[in-house]
Amino acid sequence: MSLNLSQTKRKNAISLTPLIDVVFILLLFFMLTSSFVPWRIVDTPLSVPTEAEATPEESENIILTLKANDEQVWIEEQVVRFSDQAAFEALVTENNAGVFIIQAEDGVTLQTLMSLADRLKLNGAKTVSIANAFAMPEAK
Amino acid sequence: MKIGQNYAARKANDDDNMVPLINVVFLMLVFFMVAGQIRKADPVPVIPPQSINDTRAATDPSIEIVLGADNSLYVDDVLFVIDDVQGYLADQFAAAIDKDGFWVQIKADGDLSLDVLRPVFNQVRLAGLTKVSLATQLERGQDDL
Repeated sequence: MSLNLSQTKRKNAISLTPLIDVVFILLLFFMLTSSFVPWRIVDTPLSVPTEAEATPEESENIILTLKANDEQVWIEEQVVRFSDQAAFEALVTENNAGVFIIQAEDGVTLQTLMSLADRLKLNGAKTVSIANAFAMPEAK
Repeated sequence: MKIGQNYAARKANDDDNMVPLINVVFLMLVFFMVAGQIRKADPVPVIPPQSINDTRAATDPSIEIVLGADNSLYVDDVLFVIDDVQGYLADQFAAAIDKDGFWVQIKADGDLSLDVLRPVFNQVRLAGLTKVSLATQLERGQDDL
């Protein structure tokens, strides 16, 4: 008797196939439209001539020049490799009152620029300016 | 009669076998719904530069400029020639209601040379806009720096 009851229940169960169809479609939709890239933003405020005087004294600023994508940066005729942790620490400690201005020559990639900015930030640099790297040569 | 009963039982069993499949599919669905973010795709594939910077945009950009690795330039998903960008930006800024919150996002490929980016920044500057942000990707595994 009880066996018959359970059989009736099974017969009335909702078919799972349409459910799976819908769930698969939803799954496909979310798989195709989802983005997992963690986008972040770096502000690169573009200067207008009237604001030029607002920057700290130029003597306190230090200019770092990237010449190529060779993991090294030129600081006043001196070359520092990105991997030279001690040199970066000393550089930041000595010059943290000013702005670290990064300039780049043609051919340097955006990734190299960001790597240098990261290096400086990791070593405690307060203000790093990358906007100069995007200035047109005649505007520098 | 006996055959009919067996057939009914087998049918029910077939559905039972589907339950683990549905469980897995549901789990995947929930994962993609929760972990993924739905946003419109970029007009060209862009791999942004990696950075430790963790600043998120508070608002959506007013203008989005995408620079692909093949030097193609898209402004708000439309293919542009570099010289036309200034006019477009100026027009959009003039038509904007919230001028203080107007900002431009530049999504550029990490492998792009800076001399490709300079004219783009120059066009933005010429349009009189100062709020510009560069899109980066949060770096994974910072210990290996």
